[in-house]
Amino acid sequence: MGTKAYFMIKTAREAGGEGYEEALKALEAMPEVESIESVSGDYDHVARIHAPKSVVSVANKILENEWIKHLEVFKVETDEPNPFLEEVCAIPAGESIRSCAQCGMCSASCPNIDKMDYSPRKIIALIRAGRRHEALSSNTMWVCASCYLCTVRCPNDVKITEMMHALECLAVDRDLASSRTATPTMYQLFVDSIKKNGRVHELGFMIRFYLKTNPFAAIKMAPVALQLLRHGRMPLRARKIKGTDQIKAILDRAQVLGGAR
Amino acid sequence: MRYYPFFPGCSLGATAVAYGDSVKAVAGPLEMELIELEDWNCCGSTPYGSTDEPEAVCIAARNLALAEKTGLDLVTPCSACYTTLQNANHNIQTYPDLKDRVNDALGAAGLEYGGKVRVRHLAEVIFTDIGLEAIESKVVNKLTGLKVAPYYGCQLVRPHRGFDDPEHPQTLDRLITSLGAEAVPFPLKSRCCGGSLIIPEPNLALGLIHQILDSATANGAECIITPCPLCQTNLDAYQGMVNARFKTRYEIPILFFTQLIGLAFGIDPKALGLDKGAVSAKRVLDPYLAVAK
Ligand code: SF4
Ligand code: SF4
Repeated sequence: MGTKAYFMIKTAREAGGEGYEEALKALEAMPEVESIESVSGDYDHVARIHAPKSVVSVANKILENEWIKHLEVFKVETDEPNPFLEEVCAIPAGESIRSCAQCGMCSASCPNIDKMDYSPRKIIALIRAGRRHEALSSNTMWVCASCYLCTVRCPNDVKITEMMHALECLAVDRDLASSRTATPTMYQLFVDSIKKNGRVHELGFMIRFYLKTNPFAAIKMAPVALQLLRHGRMPLRARKIKGTDQIKAILDRAQVLGGAR
Repeated sequence: MRYYPFFPGCSLGATAVAYGDSVKAVAGPLEMELIELEDWNCCGSTPYGSTDEPEAVCIAARNLALAEKTGLDLVTPCSACYTTLQNANHNIQTYPDLKDRVNDALGAAGLEYGGKVRVRHLAEVIFTDIGLEAIESKVVNKLTGLKVAPYYGCQLVRPHRGFDDPEHPQTLDRLITSLGAEAVPFPLKSRCCGGSLIIPEPNLALGLIHQILDSATANGAECIITPCPLCQTNLDAYQGMVNARFKTRYEIPILFFTQLIGLAFGIDPKALGLDKGAVSAKRVLDPYLAVAK
């Protein structure tokens, strides 16, 4: 048990010189260093560390050396079992959250961050720390509008939006979906509409939504609905596809097969 | 003539009928034949994928299986359908175990998906397969002087990259110019309108819509065009609520990009569904209609 981390190390003297050799030897001699790889670029070595107590104490031990110029800790993860992390990683593209560097670009890009309990970056940190309840009961994923701005900006190709969808599914599955947002209810009614007709009947599911959540809000929304109705944009009747029995057969089978990818 | 299996998506029969009408009206002049996918079902959209992911991918895959039988690319005009179908397609193609599971489920309905379909957005098809030159050659009613803000929204350009920049797209801008109109600078052109969160989180979405309307009008736009049914409904049908909440007086028509193309092609405005906007397009477009006749 303990913590695993990667250290990016720059030695004091030019790469290839004495400092480089000295560093390599000293690092190899440290019991906490599991493996070491020499690299070129801004750093000279990448060391994989297994810190039984704390990553900081190992870093400090290295920083005492004369040959050290710069050390950066990168990708800290505990090696204690983290079933929550495994669950998130099991969804398609979910494993990408392992490469998050906690840079905060996602949070800085999110248009809805001021409405979130935890920022996208923070949610990833919570998952990696195994804090299931905090993550799944938060409202964060339910106010994500799937705009994918975070995803295209992430320097490490983390599929943040897909992760948000996965968190929503896990929250529903564990009955932890936040009650401070009406999104889970709306999503569920939307799904029910598809299951029943094969297509979404907007008017039907909206009426059910307002009745279930806040009938007073329906009064505020009525002008919008009436206007759509008047312009022939809100059919009164649901359209059913011919293959609703196909939908049912597919879903029944999908349920038996279950989740993990 | 080019042939495409067509996946209209649920909105085209409801809030976005005008999109459906105008797509139909311009398809002929653009020499495309869009053949509606037989008995397609809802793609599942974000709500399904956020409720039960294993079920959602199978729901989307039924459409992919139906499309695969045609042997052609599947085209959808809806940005949300595009992203949902494309995500499912991508995951099925990437993870063999997921593909097996999906096929096991599809098998219960006598269907099978081999992973061969290419999902494309109608806007991308019009820009790449047909091309701006061909569009320009069909213009009989140049929209000279009309100031248009090109609103791309999110899911046409993100996360699936390829045909345009994910943050600073240009294709709609170029389309506007080729129709003789003027594309105004529009910094928020690919920002989020809140999508379906307008229903459960109206405060959040109204704020986003307000910012987008502000960005377009501040740059002198007389109308906004979009290739997304959700964006159109949010910006159009909820404009009144934005005005009430933020004490603003927006009255800017929100058109589908195909409506603008049709207008420049001299097609009858009714056939383009131009009378279906919650915000009337009459005042802004009347000068251009006169020429059309
Ligand atoms: S932008 Fe990517 S790497 Fe940076 S914090 Fe967000 S998910 Fe992590
Ligand atoms: S996809 Fe969701 S989390 Fe990412 S920037 Fe958009 S709203 Fe925020």
